[in-house]
Amino acid sequence: MEWFIANASFIAGLTVTHLSISVGPIIVGAVLAILLARVIPRRLVNPTRTVLGAIYAIPSLALFVALPALIGTSYIGPTNVVIALTLYVITSMYFSARDAFGQVPLATLTTSRALGMNSRQLFVHVELPLAVPGLIAGLRVASASTISIATIGAVVGVRDLGYLFLDGFQRKIPEEIISGIVAVCVIALALDAGLWLVGRLMTPWRNAKVNRV
Amino acid sequence: MCNFGELGAWLCAEGTWTGRYGLWNLLAEHLLLTVVSLLVAALIAIPLGMFIGHTGRGTFFVIGLGSLSRAIPTMGLLFALVLLLGVQFRELSVVLALALIALPPLIAGAYSGVTTITPGIRDSATAQGMTTRQLVRHVELPLASPSLIGGFRIAFIQVVSTVVLAPLVGLGGLGFGIIQGLALRNFAQVTVSAVVIIVITITGEQLIGLGQRLAEARLVAPKRLEKP
Repeated sequence: MEWFIANASFIAGLTVTHLSISVGPIIVGAVLAILLARVIPRRLVNPTRTVLGAIYAIPSLALFVALPALIGTSYIGPTNVVIALTLYVITSMYFSARDAFGQVPLATLTTSRALGMNSRQLFVHVELPLAVPGLIAGLRVASASTISIATIGAVVGVRDLGYLFLDGFQRKIPEEIISGIVAVCVIALALDAGLWLVGRLMTPWRNAKVNRV
Repeated sequence: MCNFGELGAWLCAEGTWTGRYGLWNLLAEHLLLTVVSLLVAALIAIPLGMFIGHTGRGTFFVIGLGSLSRAIPTMGLLFALVLLLGVQFRELSVVLALALIALPPLIAGAYSGVTTITPGIRDSATAQGMTTRQLVRHVELPLASPSLIGGFRIAFIQVVSTVVLAPLVGLGGLGFGIIQGLALRNFAQVTVSAVVIIVITITGEQLIGLGQRLAEARLVAPKRLEKP
């Protein structure tokens, strides 16, 4: 605790870097996962599942340092980490996005069609809002693991909260490592709570049961 | 094979394949660490998960563990354990850390495997006079097997991604080539190590996935009835 207080401003700086490399991938990855879940035709579902499952399995450090050979980025620095985190968000959210859209009742879709909605209106006003609970559930899982995986970026030179693990181990300060673990958990849980709240605010009809007769 | 510039030169260099930090030795260490910690975790997690699923006691524990485990950074857990237990016991600490990382998905897999069994199946097994022991051994375990293997798949992915970090605390494993290569700016070594890790991991993940599909297929459509 003493170590944490004495180094609060240092940890705050690392936290800012940590958020700056993980929030982008969470948002971009989620949007791409939703797009993929919509555009991939039914007969390609199984191959996609295999490919995304395989990418999801790749250890993060191996992916960080394999990307430079594929796309010519520098070995050290945040670019590979950001790309790899985005890939992980896509792979973990694709499945929940597919399920979320799959659970929209067919009757609702046909009714909306019959009311004269075009495909775009159907997506924006019917499918997307009804898929929100499933999408948020998937996003909560993806965001917690992204915050946690981002720490490994410290190994390739990103000064985020993972730096506390490397530095604390080398200098033999357990408090430093534990501060890092607690900081990562707090950010992950705060983000989780925030997403839960967003999900509730976006689906007001789910909380309105009380007023019905 | 020796004509691909830097990469080929490294692949053909002495000490790349054999010796303490040769690829073969590192591969063996990598697989050993992964398998041992998964087995240790399974010995605790499968009975525990099935017990919670069977009795319904401690459900909140499974749910809480599941969401907390995703937020805990595995690298921090590994480093903290090695430092707190003492660097001289680092093999033990690393296996312990990896087993801890494998526990939540294994418990969740065993738990959900048992709880998703149709109640009627369990009731009819009891009605036929099965003891609790027989029920668990002959009904719950086989029916929970796909979900159990699914838990193994997630645990494997988590453990392998952390095994790669073992060289940072002084052990070997295939991550060694990445850590050493980055420090020495030997990017051929980094790339080869990363590719080997990726191939090994995807192979393992696909094999476990195959096992899961086989277990599902065996439950859904038994081709022939076994003789009593």
